[in-house]
Amino acid sequence: MSAREPAWMDVSTLTTTTFGHRDLGWWGTLGFVVIEGMTLFICAMSYFYLRRNFALWPPGHTQLPGLTAPAIQCALMLLSWWPVRLADKAARQLDLAALRRWMIVMTLFGFAFCLLRWFEFQALHTRWDSDAYGSIVWLTLIFHTTLLVFEAGETATLTAMLHARPSERLFSDASDNALYWYFMTGVWIALAAMVYLVPLLRGVP
Amino acid sequence: MSGAVTPAVDAGGAREVQARLVAELDASWRDAPGLRGWLTTTDHKRIGRRYAATAFFFFLCGGVEAALMRLQLSRPENGFIGPDLYDRLFTTHGTTMMFLFAVPMMTAIGLYFVPLMVGARNVAYPRLNAFGYYTFLIGGLLLYVALFAGNGPADGWFSYVPLAGRDFSPDKGADVWSQTVTFTEIAGLIAAVEIIVTVFKCRAPGMSLARMPLFVWAMLVTSFMILFAMPWVATASMFLAMDRLINTHLFDPSGGGDALLWQHLFWFFGHPEVYIIFIPGLGMVSQIVGTFSRREVFGYPAIVLSMIATGILGFGLWVHHMFATGLPQMGASFFTAASAMITIPTGVQFFCWIATLWSGRPRLAVPLLFVLGFVATFLIGGLTGVMIASVPFDRQVHDTFFIVAHLHYVLIGGALFPLFGALHYWWPKLTGRLLDERLGRWQFWLFFIGVNVTFFPMHLLGLHGMPRRVYTYLAGTGWGGLNLLASIGAVTIAASVVVFLVAMWQSRRASAVAGSNPWDADSLEWATRSPPPYNFALVPVVTSRADSGPSPPANHPW
Ligand code: HEM
Repeated sequence: MSAREPAWMDVSTLTTTTFGHRDLGWWGTLGFVVIEGMTLFICAMSYFYLRRNFALWPPGHTQLPGLTAPAIQCALMLLSWWPVRLADKAARQLDLAALRRWMIVMTLFGFAFCLLRWFEFQALHTRWDSDAYGSIVWLTLIFHTTLLVFEAGETATLTAMLHARPSERLFSDASDNALYWYFMTGVWIALAAMVYLVPLLRGVP
Repeated sequence: MSGAVTPAVDAGGAREVQARLVAELDASWRDAPGLRGWLTTTDHKRIGRRYAATAFFFFLCGGVEAALMRLQLSRPENGFIGPDLYDRLFTTHGTTMMFLFAVPMMTAIGLYFVPLMVGARNVAYPRLNAFGYYTFLIGGLLLYVALFAGNGPADGWFSYVPLAGRDFSPDKGADVWSQTVTFTEIAGLIAAVEIIVTVFKCRAPGMSLARMPLFVWAMLVTSFMILFAMPWVATASMFLAMDRLINTHLFDPSGGGDALLWQHLFWFFGHPEVYIIFIPGLGMVSQIVGTFSRREVFGYPAIVLSMIATGILGFGLWVHHMFATGLPQMGASFFTAASAMITIPTGVQFFCWIATLWSGRPRLAVPLLFVLGFVATFLIGGLTGVMIASVPFDRQVHDTFFIVAHLHYVLIGGALFPLFGALHYWWPKLTGRLLDERLGRWQFWLFFIGVNVTFFPMHLLGLHGMPRRVYTYLAGTGWGGLNLLASIGAVTIAASVVVFLVAMWQSRRASAVAGSNPWDADSLEWATRSPPPYNFALVPVVTSRADSGPSPPANHPW
């Protein structure tokens, strides 16, 4: 037998349910986070690039954006981190009852975000086709809304599955879902600062 | 990781256990029967093969477009193709070659071989992989359906605004282009995530990062580049579609938008794209050089670090495509320096390969022949690259045939030569049969001569002032002779591709059966049957960098 001949290993005893970086689903979620994070980063870069073309931002007679809806949205998003943390903890402890409970709370938050997003669009006080300012703020919101709707749908589906056909696999899915949630809400708080607060500076340096 | 290490060859009892395992594996990895199984397969090898076959089909389409263009340009004031069709042809050719052939072909080979080379049974997300393939297919078909319906894009492969805006391209061509790009980039991103997670999480026990074959490293670096580059063009093309469809003003100066924004977004992807195409080629070259020099590749760490450096530097160069747009002096100098710097890691790898060949016992089989072709061709492309990295020179030859010559030397040299070499090298693994050596040599020489006869004269045409993207030229310019020469070269390239098709066809029955390791290579893909079943019946344990050892032991169940 040659010294270079391969040996083989019995891995049938390894666990199948893992969390965090041991879980393939977690890496897939991270992939989404990077790709979608890049997309939103590109929106932000384009926002500041276009801003240089204007003496006033928002331009001309455009009203400043409203702050109420976005402020409520951001507060709600921060608040949601609490049930998300508890859901993640319940998932990691394989505690089905607690996980179901917190996932229902998260689903409600998800729907509330979508509802508030409607008012956030209204608070822009401009249209996508009025000028480059309107275009970039609308598109930033639209891109992020796709994440929001997707995440609300996924959370609702996962919650339904936890009730209908609970399986061990769903625990790590729920934990990955929490990771994505932190990303989706965290990135929005940063983008909301750009979309709703930068215009308060008015003049472009 | 727990679990006992068992040597492959022990008592006869092990054989029985293995046979039972194999039967079970066969049952659990088999696809559903019939058409349904064919459509829904999640086997990375079937998907990889399909991806590669589809990309190769698009290469043939791009080749036909190139042939038509060369036919048109073969003599001055030719009336074969009019300006409108010519615009659509070069746009479709460029878009096809970049988005539907070069990148997907490389990721296809990665999706097929990376799991085998790291000792896994499949990619990390098998279903997502199938989804990625279909996304790619839809994107590609969209372009060709539109072309045949008379709505092919005509704004060049980088679809610059304002030309690609609504005012100057009122038909559906630019919309088709942006959709094709969005679809294929999503497919590319999926493949990248697959490869990254497969490499990070699905390696066999003992396969540390420092033991991975160089091709796996190349695909890892490429995948990271895809991850950070492709979102730019995917987002930009969505922006373009929005400008065209719902009247946003991102690239439209009349609404405060900016045409240069498009160029930045595009080239921030577009330049890394070139490295995305050619870093896998570097990986292929390293595998081939190692195997056919009959020694381990010299300077493994240096090659890995060079590829990583190339991957990072590749992101610092995008502005050199925009030297003609009136940039601040300081910026231009910076990007010139960065462009010159990227030659260093590539040079390091060249020296490592030369050292390997020098100190090994090289066997000049067809794959190695293609590697030598790569070295010569890519070198010329690299040298003209250094020339146009200098702003004053670039201003002179910008938008001339000099650029067409340069880009084909780089892309054909950096991607096609390694790719053909790799196809000859891995064909036995893919199909179980060797490609004919004599036809391979014919293919190589026709290709090598054809490429140089086609593209070398284009440097001179460019220096004489012939602009790119023109459908014809006047007889008085004196460009007829060189153009005819280039067209003759294109015929030679076509002949070489035909020889390759014949060799592939012929290998189905006529050529020699390969066995599991015909080249006596040492990476893990050669440690299983050709073509591999579900990759490895037993999880292999790796103990060194060169670990597939000789062919599987005699009492292997497969
Ligand atoms: C195989 C033989 C090939 C031939 C004979 C060929 C020929 C041509 C010709 C005649 C043009 C148009 C020049 C002009 O009028 O501006 C062109 C453009 C181009 N080719 Fe090729 N080509 C070949 C292969 C490739 C490959 C393999 C790639 C990429 C991997 C490629 C990428 C491009 C690109 C990006 C353009 C620019 C399109 C544009 O201007 O928008 N070509 N080629």
